[in-house]
Amino acid sequence: MSLKSLTRDWEPMSYGFLDGSAKREIRRKMLKAIAVPGCQMPYASREVPMARGWGTGGLQISCTLINPAMRIKVIDQGADDSVNAASIRSFLARVSGAPTTMDTLQADLIQSRHRIPEEMLRADQILVLQVPNPEPLRSVQPNMSIARQMHADADYGRMWLQLYEQIVRSGRVMQGASYPSLVNGRYLMTPSPIPRWDVPKLHMAQHLTILSAGREKRLYAVPPFTRVEPLVFDDVPYRVEDHGHLTCQRSGAKGYFMNEIPQAGGTSTFEVSDSELGVKTIRMAEGESARIGQTWYKDGELVQ
Amino acid sequence: MAYVATRGGERAIEQSQRLFRAEMGAITPERVAEIRSAMPYLIDRVMGEASLYDEDLAALALAQTGGELYEAILLLRAWRTTQPRLTVADPVTQDSLFTHRRISAAFKDIPGGQVLGPTLDYAHRILATDVLSGQTYHPDPVDPAPQPSPARQPSVAAWQAENGLLAKSLPDATTGNDIPDITREPLLFPAKRAHTLQSLARAETGGVLALGYAAQRGYGQAHPTVNELRLAEADVVVQHPRGTRFSAGRVKVSQAEVVSKQGSELGLGFAATLGWNEVKVIAAATLDLNAAGAPKGSATEEEFFLYHTEGVESSGFCIHFKLPHYVTFQSSLDAMRDAKAKRAAKDKQPEPAE
Repeated sequence: MSLKSLTRDWEPMSYGFLDGSAKREIRRKMLKAIAVPGCQMPYASREVPMARGWGTGGLQISCTLINPAMRIKVIDQGADDSVNAASIRSFLARVSGAPTTMDTLQADLIQSRHRIPEEMLRADQILVLQVPNPEPLRSVQPNMSIARQMHADADYGRMWLQLYEQIVRSGRVMQGASYPSLVNGRYLMTPSPIPRWDVPKLHMAQHLTILSAGREKRLYAVPPFTRVEPLVFDDVPYRVEDHGHLTCQRSGAKGYFMNEIPQAGGTSTFEVSDSELGVKTIRMAEGESARIGQTWYKDGELVQ
Repeated sequence: MAYVATRGGERAIEQSQRLFRAEMGAITPERVAEIRSAMPYLIDRVMGEASLYDEDLAALALAQTGGELYEAILLLRAWRTTQPRLTVADPVTQDSLFTHRRISAAFKDIPGGQVLGPTLDYAHRILATDVLSGQTYHPDPVDPAPQPSPARQPSVAAWQAENGLLAKSLPDATTGNDIPDITREPLLFPAKRAHTLQSLARAETGGVLALGYAAQRGYGQAHPTVNELRLAEADVVVQHPRGTRFSAGRVKVSQAEVVSKQGSELGLGFAATLGWNEVKVIAAATLDLNAAGAPKGSATEEEFFLYHTEGVESSGFCIHFKLPHYVTFQSSLDAMRDAKAKRAAKDKQPEPAE
């Protein structure tokens, strides 16, 4: 027996880029995060070969979960072909050998920035959301250590006050994306800057969502079948973006979250934000084989 | 297939990198060697901020990024984090440093003496433009001093502690892998002392300078006196598997002690970093001096300056704003337009009669 027969050959890079100790820490923190839904878990957050703020938090989760049999999808603002999504996808494929896909139905692991796909995710799928700012209280308390104490005390009064002030000043809640939401009735979280349209998709969902902020070194989770309730007053209902009636001028898809495309002359057209849904819609219209799964919204209305 | 035509993401990013690299041309071993020997202070700054002491890798990172410092440091940090940890060296004590330069502004003379060492402090800043018209600039040779300065000197703070001017710093018995490590653990507040010093050691020079300068100008509570500034080389003492302790080599380090009057005693601020970087350690020590009792949210509060001088994080976040944000923007527009429509509808309604 020689030492060589007991060890593996030297490799310049670990499988999935991160070394064993980094992955072990992330696995432990993910388990903790799943056990305490919505609670931010600090982690070391190693440097990865991408700039901070460009999905390094999501990337570390994907690098930890990935295996060669996992099919990965990466989207940015709903689009698979966005340049940074393309960059992350090719990095993940390069360090893991895992196959990639653009079809939500085919994906095992979806890393996303700012969107949840329109097709309903299943229990066997994992969604990883890139998070720029993990702290829902940042706008009312920029100091992280004080905010941490406020979470411990479930002291969310200032958050309610901020929403109330918006209603008084502007006639409605002015929060755009990253709508503060209560997870499992206990921890307030920012669902990353997904639009309000996407927040109900997290509520009692079948899939696991891991949210990870690399720069801020925090991760948190929404386990399957967990309540995710946007902060709302009893008499002011939660309102998603008014996109239900819009039609995609490229694919004809209707009733989904849209990108507004300004036109010369002051008008706008719209394109469906979930780009692969648009592609599938076009394919079907042209008689090619494509399958659109069950969607969270039908005709612009959330399926209850 | 209207959508497919727009799918140029992967090709576009490939070509954009080629454009960037085309400008710099081939990276040769000679180029890397030249950067290393011609720009020791740049190499030092990069090694300090990367918290990785390797002059060749630092020179390579500079060559590969065309001198884009934030990119170079990110390259080194990303490389560093994947490397196995073979051993932890012995702590470096101040009086064991092989000292090249050591000056004190607090006393005219100090035990061990003032050692001016290499510096441009008193140089007249005049460009050697003759070089551009073809004349090589040859630096004048150094005349050795008749008496070499002692290689190792005690710290000024040690003398002050002996004389009851300064609270003696308590020895920390933590060794090896038990020393808290900022590269393997998240930074939480109140920060562990090791985390604070490590964060300052790898902080971005410009960021530390900006906040340190703010404190020096008056946004801090304490005005620093440079007790001691030192440029030195430290032995990296490690243990051989057979048990022998030996120096595996030397690394360049800088350190600064700054003090200010706090009641009847002196308060001490300290910073050290890999490589020779005087501005950084004086500014960082100033921040350290001001941190105790600083108001929450002020620029001299530890949480504030440690978060905001992390160069890889701050530069990455700053440039991330180039990424598309049209989903979040759309979401804000929706709320704005609705609020505007509501206001317009309200304005149209006639005032109810009294």
